[in-house]
Amino acid sequence: MRSLLQSVLWVWGISVVAQIIVFGLLFFRGHFRRIPAFTVYVASNILQAGVVLAIYYRFGYGSRTALVLSWSSQACILLLRILATMEVLYLVLGPYRGIWGLGWRVLAGTFGVLLLYAGIEAGRNVSWAIVLADRGSHLAFAAALVACLLLVRYYSIPVEPLYKVLLGCFCVYSCAAVLTNAVAYALSLRGFANDEPVWQLTTITAYVGVQIAWAVAFWKAAPAEESKPALIKSSIYRQLSPQINERLYVLNEQLNQLWRPGATRN
Amino acid sequence: METGGHSKLSLTFLLLFGTVVALLLLLAWALRGPGKLTKSGAGSSALEANDRPHVNFLPHIRQALDISDYQFLAEKSPPVVQGRVRRERRDVALAYLSALRLEFDGLLRMARIIAGLSPEIVVVQEFERLRLTVKFMWRYELIRMKLRAGFAPLPQLDRLGDLISGLSVRLEIAVKELGERAALAAELASPRDRRGIGLV
Repeated sequence: MRSLLQSVLWVWGISVVAQIIVFGLLFFRGHFRRIPAFTVYVASNILQAGVVLAIYYRFGYGSRTALVLSWSSQACILLLRILATMEVLYLVLGPYRGIWGLGWRVLAGTFGVLLLYAGIEAGRNVSWAIVLADRGSHLAFAAALVACLLLVRYYSIPVEPLYKVLLGCFCVYSCAAVLTNAVAYALSLRGFANDEPVWQLTTITAYVGVQIAWAVAFWKAAPAEESKPALIKSSIYRQLSPQINERLYVLNEQLNQLWRPGATRN
Repeated sequence: METGGHSKLSLTFLLLFGTVVALLLLLAWALRGPGKLTKSGAGSSALEANDRPHVNFLPHIRQALDISDYQFLAEKSPPVVQGRVRRERRDVALAYLSALRLEFDGLLRMARIIAGLSPEIVVVQEFERLRLTVKFMWRYELIRMKLRAGFAPLPQLDRLGDLISGLSVRLEIAVKELGERAALAAELASPRDRRGIGLV
């Protein structure tokens, strides 16, 4: 049985404690009512830590059973993370029904395409399939989230500071996971003996950072105010939007003529 | 073989690193927030904001850029004065172009607010607007550089001004209508549900 480095166990322990603190804040400060899926995600992470530890003790750290079971639990966590993210995004965009309709399509489209690509890449390299799939899923998740947040910014949708921290940390963690994964992969291919503990240490440390940021955000967060924007009739949008686009098109053509006076409209 | 494998690995790593850095920069920009305008209720105030359009100053700009004045100066004044006038004319044109850009941005902001407050949006139209905006910004920068270099056809700025003026007028009418409907809906909404005025 390959033993985990002592430092990895320590950081893992700190991570679990941090997660319990976040869960406590979610529960005792009443945030779980607003973000139940996020609460389930945090609780599942704590549960996963216990389950994985039990698996390692029962089947041995390097065993195939332990590998399959621990990565299967990771897939469940990924699914819950997506649900938690969708929940927070819905809280931000839900009141803006039109933008939410666009937002979830952007999120699903970006994530789906990149995940498919990651799946193909992992399939081509079977010996590293899990590592590549993990990296690809994190990259797809981060890119989809950023695409959605760019949409939020583009339409000047107000975002509560708490939600900014939650979404931002999800993205930062995924980016950190991609980098640590890539570094560990490179080290392994170059024959570095301790690539796995390095990967575990850096990934868990990044996650501890995320937990601390979440804990501070939950501690500071004020009670949420239910505010809904006054929506307009769809007919106003349908009437104005094509007109504005047509004007913008003509304006672009004029600019084109300013740049190239000989150019004409098709 | 080994060297090739390592260089491929390094390239993959660099690509991943670059992508992650780009994602983090975009994330920081997206979460920074555009400021007070985005706070709740800002939508209506932004719609109501209606400064005097810069295109109203078009006749003055046209006068400042009148070619006959410049020809007169060329005949009567020394080269130093001509050079100074040329620089001032260019500065005026640049300032005007910047003002037009501001106005264009304002109109786009209105369009985005309308889209944000609509319960349904047409994805194709939104992407088309994004495409047109990118194109406009690109061309605007090119013209600005051309002006700075000193060989832009200044009188053609008239057309740009006319177009933005036309768009302003039509949007003003629409926004006025929007404001009237919002006021009517606010009156109709029950007192216990003032927060969530639903016009739909």
